[in-house]
Amino acid sequence: MLTRRHFLTSTSLAVAALGVSEALAQGSGLAQSGLVGNLEGSQVVTDAAAMPKSFKEAPELAELVKQGKLPPVAQRLPAEPLVLKPLKSVGKYGGTWRRGFVGPGDGENGNRINASDKLLFWDYTGNKIIPSIAKSVTMSDDGKVTRVVLRPGMKWSDGAPFSADDFVFWFEDIYGNKEVVPTGIADMSPAGKPGKIVKIDAATVEFQFEVPYFLLIEMLAGDTLIGGGMSVGMYQNRSYGCYAPAHYLKQFLPKYSSEAQVNARAKTEGFENWVRMLHAKKDWNLNPELPVLGPWRTTRPINTPTWVLERNPFYYAVDTDGNQLPYINQIVMTLAEDLEVLNLRAMGGSYDLQERHIDIAKLAVILENRERGNYDLHLDLAFNGSDTTIHINQSYTADPEIAKWLTNADFRRALALGIDRAQLNETFWLGLGTPGSTAPAESLPQNPGKEWRSKWSTHDPAKANQMLDALGLTKKDGEGFRVRTDNGERLRLQVQTVRAFLPWPQQMEMVAQHWRRIGIFAEIRELERVLAFTRTQNNEHHIHVWTNGGTELLYLFPRHAIPVDPTEAFMGPEFAKWYASSGRLGRAPTDPNLKKIFELFGSAAGQRDDARNRTAQEIWKILIDQQYSIGTVGQSPALMGVRLASRKLGNIPARACIAQHCRTPGSSRPETWFYQS
Amino acid sequence: MLAFTVRRLLLAILTIWVISVLAFAIIQLPPGDFVTAYIAQLSASGASVSEAEAVSLRELYGLGQPFYVQYAKWIVRVIAGDFGVSMEWNRPVGEVIGDRLWLTMLISFAALILIWGLALPIGIYSAVRQYSIGDYLFTLIGFIGLAVPNFLLALVVMYLSFRFFGANVGGLFSSEYELAGWSWDKVVDLIKHLPLPAIILALGGTAQLIRIMRANLLDELRRPYVVTARAKGIPEYRVILKYPVRAALNPFASTVAYLFPYLVSGSVIISIVLSLPTVGPLLVRSLISQDMFLAGTIVLLLGALTVVGTFISDLVLMWVDPRIRHQLD
Repeated sequence: MLTRRHFLTSTSLAVAALGVSEALAQGSGLAQSGLVGNLEGSQVVTDAAAMPKSFKEAPELAELVKQGKLPPVAQRLPAEPLVLKPLKSVGKYGGTWRRGFVGPGDGENGNRINASDKLLFWDYTGNKIIPSIAKSVTMSDDGKVTRVVLRPGMKWSDGAPFSADDFVFWFEDIYGNKEVVPTGIADMSPAGKPGKIVKIDAATVEFQFEVPYFLLIEMLAGDTLIGGGMSVGMYQNRSYGCYAPAHYLKQFLPKYSSEAQVNARAKTEGFENWVRMLHAKKDWNLNPELPVLGPWRTTRPINTPTWVLERNPFYYAVDTDGNQLPYINQIVMTLAEDLEVLNLRAMGGSYDLQERHIDIAKLAVILENRERGNYDLHLDLAFNGSDTTIHINQSYTADPEIAKWLTNADFRRALALGIDRAQLNETFWLGLGTPGSTAPAESLPQNPGKEWRSKWSTHDPAKANQMLDALGLTKKDGEGFRVRTDNGERLRLQVQTVRAFLPWPQQMEMVAQHWRRIGIFAEIRELERVLAFTRTQNNEHHIHVWTNGGTELLYLFPRHAIPVDPTEAFMGPEFAKWYASSGRLGRAPTDPNLKKIFELFGSAAGQRDDARNRTAQEIWKILIDQQYSIGTVGQSPALMGVRLASRKLGNIPARACIAQHCRTPGSSRPETWFYQS
Repeated sequence: MLAFTVRRLLLAILTIWVISVLAFAIIQLPPGDFVTAYIAQLSASGASVSEAEAVSLRELYGLGQPFYVQYAKWIVRVIAGDFGVSMEWNRPVGEVIGDRLWLTMLISFAALILIWGLALPIGIYSAVRQYSIGDYLFTLIGFIGLAVPNFLLALVVMYLSFRFFGANVGGLFSSEYELAGWSWDKVVDLIKHLPLPAIILALGGTAQLIRIMRANLLDELRRPYVVTARAKGIPEYRVILKYPVRAALNPFASTVAYLFPYLVSGSVIISIVLSLPTVGPLLVRSLISQDMFLAGTIVLLLGALTVVGTFISDLVLMWVDPRIRHQLD
């Protein structure tokens, strides 16, 4: 086997990068390479004594105040602004952050930068929940009522007051409107019982439920439908989050005029009907007029060649010196039609900070161009277990012989033991990942224990062969592949792959070679994403390859580990339909282990933190022991973890949390970054 | 003559109508629809969409209706000049295409001038000096130009320009002008960015036209009338330029047919590779996301331009070549 190390030393390619890449290739070299730092970031100051007494603002805004176009900074900030202690130093105002995006579908590119419009957030470690829009959140002892206290005097980016009414408006007029949101969401209905949002006073709201919902606080901080904040909650026809600018959006709703009137308005503005107009108007990517709460607001929308954001003069956070954040004036994202171009531009120094869409396979060239492009490279390691996860469809029925094997635990375990993860890691992750099962990183509270990282996840073809023989798959055809037990033809497993995020088709070709050695024939199919998606929804796939990203916090984003969400239910679409519809659609699982998982998962929302994490550990143990999803290599920088940061920027963390709930780069607090010169 | 023109015109209109039906049908052929594509894309960024939501979205976009209803609605609006709202871009289709149309035409036009400016004289030279060192040299370069896929060339050239000439890769403007309004500096910046895509776009086409020109002219040069002209003592340049070259120009006139759509779409693959803001990448993107109105409009536009181009090239051929003109009489 030609390892990455041999390959590099035997060529003169990327000479400048050689030393570092070599160091990287040796697992222990990660730390010495200087590319993987320690998690660090801005911290929220809660100590009343350390609160700044007076406030300052950007010179551009001061000018506007002088002209009388803007109220003074003290009036723009809430009575108790969020105070952030910047990572290294208090910054300077000014500058334009240049960045790349790939089209009108890439709204997450900006949503994640503006992610501090959530009620609660995670700090830079990804392990601790911190206040954000909400000053505080308290839960009753029985877990049924959660009280959210807002920051009095807080304002939308147009200067209008932000209050409890905006929550009630969202709950009643957006979420409660069947034409906008046809069905309620699980986030608002623990144990299938819909809850409600109630105004207590101008700065206090309550989430009220019939059953204990201890998970709610985590849900409000996570990247969930209810807790995502308005930037992601309301973009692209979605209508979630838990608040909305009532004063602005009322004009687009029939309730506040009449259906005929809003439809007439939609027609004149070029929309088919009022619903489509509303969807466009409440999407901050598209509508520069929409009031927002995040650090920046759109001035030139995403559906043009440059998506431009400008500072929000009413943003609710300050630094320890009382300077209103953000430091950076504007963000200019330029459209790249192609990822190769985006990567080249990043290396040429055309972007000031880019982690999104950067391809890990280009690491050598990225390293080589650091001086020319005047950037530093940081590798941020993820927390999820496996970037390339082989999800095995447990609800497959079309071919009974195939279904029999897909649902056989020992068959799946043999497949898992047949994979040479070290080779995958060397070839596709440049040795930067951690081989193993789907288990989340050991630093997280839901990790089931160290031994589960390697459970059924080592390379042991001898044992795999033994297990397959024991199952009765002893007969082989002329080429050494095992044959079906019903008709004696070759047993063919279809593996569905999509070219997204990582080169999954190529990776699986390598796995197919590994499986050849245990006599298993895998047919690797590369499908266009929509086709793969349709096949999965129709329960037509044997095996689908995808990441298990997000599962590091199981309850907030379970669908890459457990088939509970029909949107992406690779390991059992029928069961997901059954679970999501409370048994009306789909089919109930019969596998006792799978039933146990659903049972444990369903009970978790009503458990307190410790018990809930223990339940997650139980679920992980069953998942890994049963190998419904086979893990390969994870905890790597492959997805959004290769970060190019201009040397002109200050307060850039050595290592950032990259995870679904950290809203990379959101939890690294882009509003505290600044241009040093 | 007039009857011929009218007949062709009517046929052209019929063809455009058939194209519009086909365009709309083909776009709907792949499995799924815009909502499926939209959900797939949303789910990849972590969002989830329930079945009820998908149903209401389909209703919102009018996707649940039968094919002929969707087509009828669309074509009625198209005739009225309204191409609908792009589902992916959330903007009127006319605007989305309009944004890119003139830049596309600029690049294509630059490439076209290059193709003709190079191919014509080289083709004539190669034919007149057949089997000379120059002819062999141009033939060699021409074949390389034909054989190397130009997207590969685009990648290589782009990497070299990145490596040796600095940062800005792809696109038509430097980042500092991307946002600025039109000014003299911005035009200069555009002119600086133009040669690279134009040359790459032109290369394949030039090689092809050189070969066509050379072959046609060689045919003509052996005709008896050329010998007669020489025998009568007409100067060599006149002998060649006055008759054989004119006769060999026919293929140039017939290329007008596919020039029109080319001018508008540019080269799809090269535009994607070089990240040029042209209509080509827009078409590909709209097909992937199954954005019917945008894809339909672009395909219809390209089809219509091909038909119009053919019509015009028929007229041009009649004008250039008296032999065709007299056949009709």
